[in-house]
Order: sequence, then C-alpha cells, then structure tokens
Amino acid sequence: MKTLTARRFRNSGIAIVAALLLVWLSGAMTTALRDTARQTGWILFSMICFLAAYNLRKKLPFLPLGASATWLQFHIYVGLLTAVVFGVHVGWRIPNGLVESLLATLYLFVFASGVIGLFLSRSLAKRLTTRGDEVLFERIPVYRNRLQAEVETIVFEELDEAASTAVAQFYADRLRPFFAQTRNFWQHLVQSNRSRFGLLNEMQAYRRYLNDAERETMARLVTCVEAKDDLDYQFSLQATLKYWLFVHVPLTYALLVFAILHLLLVSAYSGGIS
Amino acid sequence: MPTFESIQRPERWAVPFSTEMTDADVDRLLTIEPFASLDATRFRGKVTLPGILKNDTRLVRCQPGDIVVRQGDWGNSAFLVVAGNVRVELGSAASLPSEILGRQPVHRKSLFESIAQLWRNSSDPEVREIAAYRGDPRIGTRGTGEQTRIYLQDVSTVLDKYQTATIEAGQFFGESAALGRTPRSATVFAERSTELLEIRWQGLRDLMRRDDALQQHIDAVFRERALKLFLMNTPIFQHLGTTEITELTEGAKFETHGQYDWAGSFKRLAKKGIDTDLQHEPLIAEEGNHTNGVIIVRSGLARLSRRHEHGHQTTGYLTPGQIFGLDEIIDGWLGKTPKPLTHSLRAIGIANVVTIPTHLIERLLLETTGRRSLARNKAKTTDPLANQPKIDATRINSDFVEFLVENRYINGTATMLIDMDRCTRCDDCVRACASTHDNNPRFLRQGPIQNNIMVANACLHCEDPVCMIECPTGAIHRQMEGGQVVINDETCIGCSACANNCLYNAIRMVDVRHEDGDFIRDDRKHAPIAKATKCDLCSDQLGGPACQRACPHDALIRMDMRAVQQLTDWYTR
Repeated sequence: MKTLTARRFRNSGIAIVAALLLVWLSGAMTTALRDTARQTGWILFSMICFLAAYNLRKKLPFLPLGASATWLQFHIYVGLLTAVVFGVHVGWRIPNGLVESLLATLYLFVFASGVIGLFLSRSLAKRLTTRGDEVLFERIPVYRNRLQAEVETIVFEELDEAASTAVAQFYADRLRPFFAQTRNFWQHLVQSNRSRFGLLNEMQAYRRYLNDAERETMARLVTCVEAKDDLDYQFSLQATLKYWLFVHVPLTYALLVFAILHLLLVSAYSGGIS
Repeated sequence: MPTFESIQRPERWAVPFSTEMTDADVDRLLTIEPFASLDATRFRGKVTLPGILKNDTRLVRCQPGDIVVRQGDWGNSAFLVVAGNVRVELGSAASLPSEILGRQPVHRKSLFESIAQLWRNSSDPEVREIAAYRGDPRIGTRGTGEQTRIYLQDVSTVLDKYQTATIEAGQFFGESAALGRTPRSATVFAERSTELLEIRWQGLRDLMRRDDALQQHIDAVFRERALKLFLMNTPIFQHLGTTEITELTEGAKFETHGQYDWAGSFKRLAKKGIDTDLQHEPLIAEEGNHTNGVIIVRSGLARLSRRHEHGHQTTGYLTPGQIFGLDEIIDGWLGKTPKPLTHSLRAIGIANVVTIPTHLIERLLLETTGRRSLARNKAKTTDPLANQPKIDATRINSDFVEFLVENRYINGTATMLIDMDRCTRCDDCVRACASTHDNNPRFLRQGPIQNNIMVANACLHCEDPVCMIECPTGAIHRQMEGGQVVINDETCIGCSACANNCLYNAIRMVDVRHEDGDFIRDDRKHAPIAKATKCDLCSDQLGGPACQRACPHDALIRMDMRAVQQLTDWYTR
C-alpha cells in the first residue's frame, strides 16, 4: 500500500507535467498562427463534464464504476488542471461580453468552492477528532435538547432547595439562550475559544455571590456548558463539511448550462471556421 | 461492617443443556453402549455419569430427511446415534445444493438488476416479498420455534443422486467440529426415524477424560480426518510428502486452551469494563521457557506478548494457521544451542493449538531445507496472511494493538475501520449501504475510537463466528464462496440467538413489512414477524462492499485482521 504522501506527489507530478505540456503545445500552436480556442474549449468542456460525472458516480454506488476515492483523486487533479486549460482558453485575460464574463465568473466560483471544499475536507476532519465526543450530525439537536433538559432540571432542583434565586437568575439571563440553540458557529469554524472562555470566566466570577450548595450546582452547570460548547463545535464543523457541497454542486450545474449555451453561440457565430 | 448482596454460588449444571431430559431417559441411556460399559468408578465427585447425561445431553428425535448438521455450520455439540441411522454426505462427486439445505444460494445481481435498485428500492423500512415466506417448494421445514428443522423432502432421490455413507446406532459424529471449534465438515441427515443423543462439548470432554476407549477413538478420528488435512494445508509443511505428514500427525499434540463459551464470558466482562491484566488469559507458552516445539493455531485466537516493566505488552496476535516458536527453533538449530522463547503466547477466549515437537521440526523441516537456504529466507515472506503475527512496534502504536486485541476486533475478517482524521462524516458509506440493501443500512457509523481509528458497528465476518453456533435452522451461515457470514432471510425464524451471541452487537432484529408498509404477522398470534439482519458484505452486488467503494476520502476499509502487514500499512499510510 502506497502512502498518501507518495500518492499526492505522484498525482501532483502528473498534473504539473500535463499542465506544462498543455501550455507548451498551446504556445507552439499560437506561434504557428493556429487558433487554439476551439481545441482548449472542447478540452475544458470535456473536463468539466467528467468532473460533474463524479456526482453521478456517487448516486450509483451499486454499480462497479470504481472506488469513489479513485474518482475523487481524478476529480481533484483534473479540477486543478482545468485552471490551466481555462487560462489558456481565455488567453490569460479577463473575458469581455456578458455570457463569457458570466461563464468565467461561474467557473471561478466553482473552482474556488472546490479548492475551499478540498481544504475543508482535509482540515476540518482532523479537527473534529480533537474536541467533544463523536456524534452523528442528525442527532446533534437531540443531544442539545437533552442537555438543555438536564440543565433545567439542575436549576429547578436548586430553586426548590435554596432560598436564593441566584443560580436560576444566572441561568435565565446568560445560559438559557446559550442552551436554546447552536451558538458561536463562526468562532468554532476559525477555532476561536473566546466565547467559551468568556462564559466560563463569567460563571467563575459569579461564584462569589453563591453559597456552597449553589457553587456545587454552578460546577455542574460548568460541565454542561463545556459539553454544549463541544456539541456546537461538532455542529459547526460537520455542518460546514456537509453544506459546502450545496454551493459547489448547484454552481457546477449552472456552469454546465452556461457552457452549453456558450458552445451553441460559438458554433452559431463561427461562420464555418474550423 | 461492609454490606453486600449475595447469591448462591453458580454450579456447573446450573443451566442444563435441555430441561426435557428425564431420569427415565438417563436410565435408558445407561443401558446402551458406550455408556453401559463405562467404568462408573472413574466418575467421582460431582461429575457423575448420570449427571453428565442428565445435564449435558439432550435427545433429538428426527424424522426421515431431517437435516442434523450442514457442512460449514458451526456447532458446539457432538451426536451419538441411539436408534435408527443417519447418512453423511461424502460430497466427492456432487454436493447437496444450498437451496435444499435452507441456505441462500449465492446470487449476484446482474447489471440490470443493479441499476433497477434505483427505482425498485422500497420507501418503507425492511420490506419483504411475502411470497418468499410462503415457502420455497424445495425447502421443507417442520417444528416451531427453536425446534424448527429443515428437512430433505425426497430422501430417496438424494440417496440415489449423491454419495453418502451410513452412520449406524452406537456411532458418534460431529465430535471433531465440536471439540476443535471448526466448521462441520459434512452434511448429515436422518435416513429414517432416528433418535440421536446430542452431547454438548463440555459433557463430551468429561466423558473422554474418564473413558480411555472413547478418548482414543475420538483422538484417532481427529488425527485421521482433521489433523492430517490441517497439517497438509499449513504453508510450512506444504512441500512435505505423505510419509512425513503422517509422521508429523502421529507426533503432534493437540490442546485446547481457554473457555469454550468465551463469547458469553467476554460479554459479561465487557459490561464490567475490560480487564487489561493478561494474567486471566490462559498461557499456552511462556517467554523465557524452553522451546518444546512449533505451536500452530488450529482455531481461535492467541495473543503474542512480551514482558514490559511490570506488565505485558501485546506485540501481535495469531489467527488460525499461524505459527509460534519456529524462529527460536531455527535460531537454535543454526546456532547449535537451544534458544528460549522470546514471547509469551496466550489464548484469547479459546484457542485450539497443535504442537509439533522440536525434534520433528528439525529432522523433517530444517534438515531438508538446509542451513544456507534457511538463513537466506528467514524473515522473508510475500503472502500477507503468512506467518507474520508480530506487529512492527516502530510503525504502529502498542495501545492501538492492545485496543484491537482487548476488544476482540482481531476476530474479524472484514472489520470496518474508519480513519477519523480523513472521514468528513459525509455518510456516503451509509447511503451506499442503504442503496444496496433496499434502503436499509446494515451498519451504524458509530463505535469505539482509538488513535483516531473507529471500529464501526458493522458485522466483522468473524474468523470464529459465535453467532452461528445456536442458529436452529442454519439460516446464518458462512458462504462457501467468499466466506462471508450471511443470513438466509427465508429460513430465519427470528429467534435472536445470533443477535444475542454476537459480541459486537452487529446483528439487529427487525420487524418485517410487506409492500404497503404494514407489518407481516404470523397467522396464529398476529404478532409481527422478526428477522435478523446484518451486513452481508454486499455479497450479491457487483464490485464488492459498497461502503468501502463509496468512501471518497480513503477513510473506510474492510480489513482482514489476519493480514497484520496490510493493517500496519493502512495505519501508517
């Protein structure tokens, strides 16, 4: 079994050689006064069709169409190679004209979303193992509700037993909104613990107003806050890993539609030039 | 003074094999052979002959055609023909077809059938075609509940068409599989009305201990039928001729270490928290001791460990067919001074081992191979399943190895491992599994995690499949082609024996529905029909396990835990 690093070097090497070959060939053809736009356009369109076909492969897991991981490797490196083909196709300049500009913008968005997706897939997966228990994304609301119910039980127990409403008041003011829904989505994504520490410091500072029994209750609430924050962390990262595809895939379909329109227009207005 | 709850100390026969054995049955059995001529004085203390017969046996009455055991089944009992006779299928020319034995024939979907899953998959969970349960005319079943039996509908045709041998009253069968914890080697069915005495392995073991003739008989049968074949198939002896193999067979020592019901004990232990102290594991060979011979694991699993500070560090594990002690014998033979064992070997649960004495290894193996060739080839191997039980400690963390061994995950031939550093939780694996199983995923992407590797809750397709032991109809079986452990939905009676026995909770009982979404119910009590379900490793799909093929990030693998080298490579990739 090859190591993943070795595979990365091999595939990157192949992609770089292919890119250099393409640039050299295009340059040679241009020197020979040949128009390369048609050839590179068809190559780019074929590459985009192939990249879009990966989604189809995912929908047909029961067919012997090869491993999804192999498809993803081709998807990544062919996808990266499209940037070079795109550059050669547009002559390394910003396209003019409405359809071309829109098409180029769409391509750049799809390309960028793909690269960002790749980065997220590689980095967030690792980060998910560093905090909190492994949870299924669909079960997170259930765990959150359970945690909120647990916290409310603790607070109401305290309210029944103690004469003071200090803990209950703190819960109502500061903790109820925290437990009611997912919090600090973006902070978790950029790995900031600012809000977590802020809330925990606030709880620590509030201890001075509490008696021994209430402090004990507060300590239990601290554990719940940490668990909820870990759950939010899991939600934030898992949601990002799931939802970036909701940007990448629809944009790809839009790109395909515009690419076909572009092909039709080019063919219609080519004036018979081969 | 501390308070504690107390119970009566559990006794050997607290749970008898059958509650239906009466004293009259025992008295009758004591008048027939071999029990009539057993020396009663050799049964002392609590383990008496009537006690064994009452608690470790049960009478099974078969009608003509009833299948007693199937080739490939796993069982923990042997049989004695009390009256009548049974036939054993010899299978030299043609074997009985899977369908009439109540097994699911291996049917791989065609390309069109595969594509048709796109629109044919049901929207309701666990939908079945009710017609399939109305009976395959080729499968005969009789009896109810755990007494359900599959029977051959036309015994005379089977006798004409297939080669069989008769086992008459007074003869044993099934003892090798019961004692060796190996699959049944042949199918046995009743030719006419027959009475059998089924003896669970504990009773058989006690009878053998107290009756030399029985011991010798079973020993001889084992050596002739099973051990010879086993040694011939062991890679290091494959080049030897018949004479040498016979000599090895005669000199070999066969031992069982550990508890037969290790799965049950392990489940109880796991509930309390796994004990990391190896002292409770039966020692097969100890580090530092003289090397008596090569130890070959015939069935079960064994832990390889070395002393480390005040404990023992697991350095590998042995699965069936793997050997221990050969390196020390070779080193001793090459250096002309005996070398002590460098590792300890312990049974994990249960291990049946064959020991070939050192002098036989030296004479039959080393002297014929030659010093130069041995020195050159030592440590060289290309087969990933070959004798490489030691894990390269520089490449794989010892806590990960301990985790795999302690939790018995090494029992798997297709353990689902997920690298959580690469898994994006996209659930493509779960969706792929559902798509290939009529929209019913057959595993959970959940499970214990060690060193960021998750062992997901999916059938491991165990080397030692304890789930198969108590299945009354043989519905759960190992496919002859491919070796996957699968369930025949049509012959599963929903008794949950397999699900209760599974160590890894990988078998789920489900209530099945028909196409309109309503539960299928039995015609008497109108209770829903339950079926056991589990991962079948996509044995009917083109291209193999869909979960592994669907993982975009190379995070999921179905790992054969016998392939230590492959495991290490995957872990350190």
